[in-house]
Amino acid sequence: MAATLDIKGVEKTFSIDGRAVPALAGVDLKVEPGEFLTVLGASGCGKSTLLRLIAGLDTSYEGSISLDGQRIRGPSLDRGIVFQEPRLFPWLTAARNVALALENAPLAREAKRRAVDEHLALVGLSSFGNAYPHQLSGGMAQRVAIARGLVNRPEILLLDEPFGALDALTRAHLQDELQRIQQDEQITTVLVTHDVEEAVYLGDRVIVMAPRPGRVAHVFDIDLPRPRRRTDDRLVQQRARILETLEEISGESARPLATQPVGPLEARPALA
Amino acid sequence: MRIVTDISMTAALGAFRTQAPRTRARGWVRLVVTALAGFIVPLLALLLWQVSASRDWLPQQILPPPDMVWQSFVDMVKSGELLGHIEISLQRVVEGFALGAVIGLTLGFSIGLSPILDDYLSPLITAFAQVPTLGWVPLLMILLGIDEGLKVAIIAIAAFIPMVINTRAAVRAVPQGLLEVARCFMYTRRQQLLRVVLPASVPTIFTGIRYGLTHAWKALVGVELLASAEGLGYLLVWGRQMFWLDMVLLAMAVIGVLGFAMDYGLARIERRLQRWRIGPLGDPS
Repeated sequence: MAATLDIKGVEKTFSIDGRAVPALAGVDLKVEPGEFLTVLGASGCGKSTLLRLIAGLDTSYEGSISLDGQRIRGPSLDRGIVFQEPRLFPWLTAARNVALALENAPLAREAKRRAVDEHLALVGLSSFGNAYPHQLSGGMAQRVAIARGLVNRPEILLLDEPFGALDALTRAHLQDELQRIQQDEQITTVLVTHDVEEAVYLGDRVIVMAPRPGRVAHVFDIDLPRPRRRTDDRLVQQRARILETLEEISGESARPLATQPVGPLEARPALA
Repeated sequence: MRIVTDISMTAALGAFRTQAPRTRARGWVRLVVTALAGFIVPLLALLLWQVSASRDWLPQQILPPPDMVWQSFVDMVKSGELLGHIEISLQRVVEGFALGAVIGLTLGFSIGLSPILDDYLSPLITAFAQVPTLGWVPLLMILLGIDEGLKVAIIAIAAFIPMVINTRAAVRAVPQGLLEVARCFMYTRRQQLLRVVLPASVPTIFTGIRYGLTHAWKALVGVELLASAEGLGYLLVWGRQMFWLDMVLLAMAVIGVLGFAMDYGLARIERRLQRWRIGPLGDPS
C-alpha cells in the first residue's frame, strides 16, 4: 500500500493584491515507500502550501508532483490527510466522523463498519465511538482525525502540524502512537511541523525549508533505529545541528527583511 | 505516558456514566423553576387587574373585570365563534408562512451558495427588509384586492425576510475547513451540500424559521386589523367598534397565547435539532 512520492521543480506563486508572491521555488523531493519524512521550517516557509499541493487541494502550480508515477490532479482517497485542527463534524459521533471518509470508498456497508471499528481501535478510542466531538479532549479529537485520515488505507499519509495545538504531554503521547501506527502499517508519511524535536524524533529524513521563497535548504538523514528514545544522545545531537541550521536560515532571511515591508510576526523565527 | 492517558480516559468514561442522571435531574428542576418564574409577573398583573376592578379604579367600559372577560371567553368558546376565528387566522398563517418559507429558504440557499447571485440580489433583499410589512399593504391592495390573497401575501413577506437572511448567513458561515475535509474525501457537489452545508447550517436556518413564524403571526393580526371580516385581528377591531373591551382583551390574550405556543413548539424542535451542541446526555428531551 505504500507509495513513492515524486516532487519535481515545483513552483507556486500566490497573487496578493495583484502582486505575485512566490511561495515555493524549485522544490525537488523524493519520498520512498514506507518512509517517514518530516518537513521543518518557520511559519511562512511554504511547508503547509507544499502539503496542500500534495493533497491535491490546490492544483495551480508549476512542476510536477506524482504518486507512483501518477500525476496528482486533485484530492484522492489514496492520500489521507490530518490537519492542525481535528476538523471533526460536530453533529456526528466519533465513529460517524471516521465513517465520513468512506462515503465514496468502494466498500460494502459491513466492510465500512468494520474499517471504522478497526481504526478507532488503532487510535485507542474503541469505547468512544458514540461520543460527540464536544465530549472529546483535544488529543482524543485529533486521534479521531488520524483514524479518519487512515481509514481509507491510503498509500500516503499527510499531516499538517497535527500536534501543534496540543499540550506537551498529549503531544508526546500522540507522537508515540503515530510512530507505532506508521511502523505497523509501513505507510509513506509526510509530516509538516515547526517543532524541531518532533521532526527529529519521528522522521527518517528531516527536510529543512527556508522562506521567501519557500525552498528546501537542508536535508538531514536521521538514521536511528525505532522505537526511538527521546533522550537518545544521537537524537539530541541531531536536534542541535538542525537548530543551528534553522538559526542560520532565519539570520539570512532576516537581513533583507529590514528593507521589506513585512509584518513583525513573520520576521520572528517561529521556533520554540 | 500511556498510564497517564489511560487514567484520564477512564476518568472521562466515568464522567460519562455518572454525569447523565445528575444533569437530567438538575435539568428537570430547572425546567419547572423556569416555567413557574414565567407565571409570576402575569399572575401579579392579573391580581392588580382584579383589585382595580373591585375598587372601581377605572370604569367598567374601559377596563372590564377579569371574570367578565372570562365569561365572554367561555360564551364565545361555547358558541364556536372563537374557534371559527382562530381557524381562519391559523389557516392564513399556515398558507402565508408556507409560501414565505419556500421562497425564503430557496432564495437563501441560492444566494448563500452562489457569490454571483448574492452580488445581484443581496442589496435588493436588504432594502426589501427595511420596508415594514404593513408598508406593503397599499400597493398589494391595488394588485390583489382585499381578500385572502392580500393577507396571505403580507404574511408571506413577513415570514420570508428573516428566513432568507438567516439561511443566507447560515450557508455562508459553513466552516471552510469542513468543506476542505469533504473535498479531500472526494465529496461531489451534491454530497458536500447534503452532508456538510445542510447539517452545518440547520441551527441558524431554524432560528430564521422561528423568527419567520413570529413575524408571520404579527403580520396576520396587523393585516386582519386593516382588512378582514373574520379572524382574531378582526375580533380586536370589532370589539373596539362595539366598545366591547372584554372581547378586545380576550382576543389579545388568545393571540398572545397562541403565538407563545407556536414559538415554544418550534423552540423544542430547535433544541432537538441541535442536540449535538448540547450533547446527547445533557438534555434528554
